[in-house]
Amino acid sequence: MKDFHIARTAHSPEVDFRFSEHRLTLSGEAYPEDAAAFFNPVLSTLEQYLKSMDDCDIEFNFQLTYFNSASTKMLYRLFGLLNDSACTRNRVVLCWHHDVEDDTVLEFGESVHDDFNALEFRPIAADLAAL
Amino acid sequence: MHIDVFSVFRNSADFSGVLFYYNGPLSQNVIATMGETLRHRLGCADAGGPKARRLFSSFIEMAQNALHYSPDAPGYPGEKVGALAVGRRGSSDYYIVCGNLVHRDQSQRIRERIEPLRSMTVEEIRRAYREQLKQEPANDEVSKGAGLGFLTLARDATEPIEYSLIDMPGHEDDLAYFYIQATV
Repeated sequence: MKDFHIARTAHSPEVDFRFSEHRLTLSGEAYPEDAAAFFNPVLSTLEQYLKSMDDCDIEFNFQLTYFNSASTKMLYRLFGLLNDSACTRNRVVLCWHHDVEDDTVLEFGESVHDDFNALEFRPIAADLAAL
Repeated sequence: MHIDVFSVFRNSADFSGVLFYYNGPLSQNVIATMGETLRHRLGCADAGGPKARRLFSSFIEMAQNALHYSPDAPGYPGEKVGALAVGRRGSSDYYIVCGNLVHRDQSQRIRERIEPLRSMTVEEIRRAYREQLKQEPANDEVSKGAGLGFLTLARDATEPIEYSLIDMPGHEDDLAYFYIQATV
């Protein structure tokens, strides 16, 4: 499948899905005007990729530093897709990049870890403010 | 504006610790620009780290709330307007207050959503937030954030959310001002 890329803006994240390398990255900040309009194409592309893969090792890098409530809702659907795939066909590692001081992202990571337990959750403390 | 009136306005803003105030049309670009300005002001005021993040989060939730749910300003089709202020409260806290128009028939719904949060403990808010995350997006015509917005504000605040609904003079039948304030 062709790689999928969306450039970062002031209020929407960079989407860097390197399907050819099975390395998917989401970075930046997410508070677009319409979270569903932004995330729906991302989710459907991801779903298509996951369905086309079998017995594959996939790495998902979560590097968002801020996401509003509407985006949070969409992210939960994204993790749901990854989790479903990890339950049935593929192995998914979720690399959770977070600033050591950022308790909001950390706590959100704990929820994701609890609610999507087919994903191999790998917390990575980083200085994301420097990015 | 009469200079005396402006002086009173300025003094009263100073007295209330106002760092930032906006009153006018809202758009996604205006909100993003204000967010950056706010971050800069907080950086200068030495409010870095988690508190600045929670302030920014509350600011965006309130501003986008006003943008998404306000009816058009009377006489200005297609225009959403709102007023936002951020200021210091005491030595280490900040307040964020937002005022925007709402349809009067939404008042009850707003009360029902905020009122329960006001008496919840931090732990109860955290649990309710996590429960809400797991809810499938309901077929809700009104709410775009599936009820997570007010919970996000409550989660980031150090005190119960304050709010007020006041009928708009001259439009008592259909419009009201909705004010919401959070302390972070």
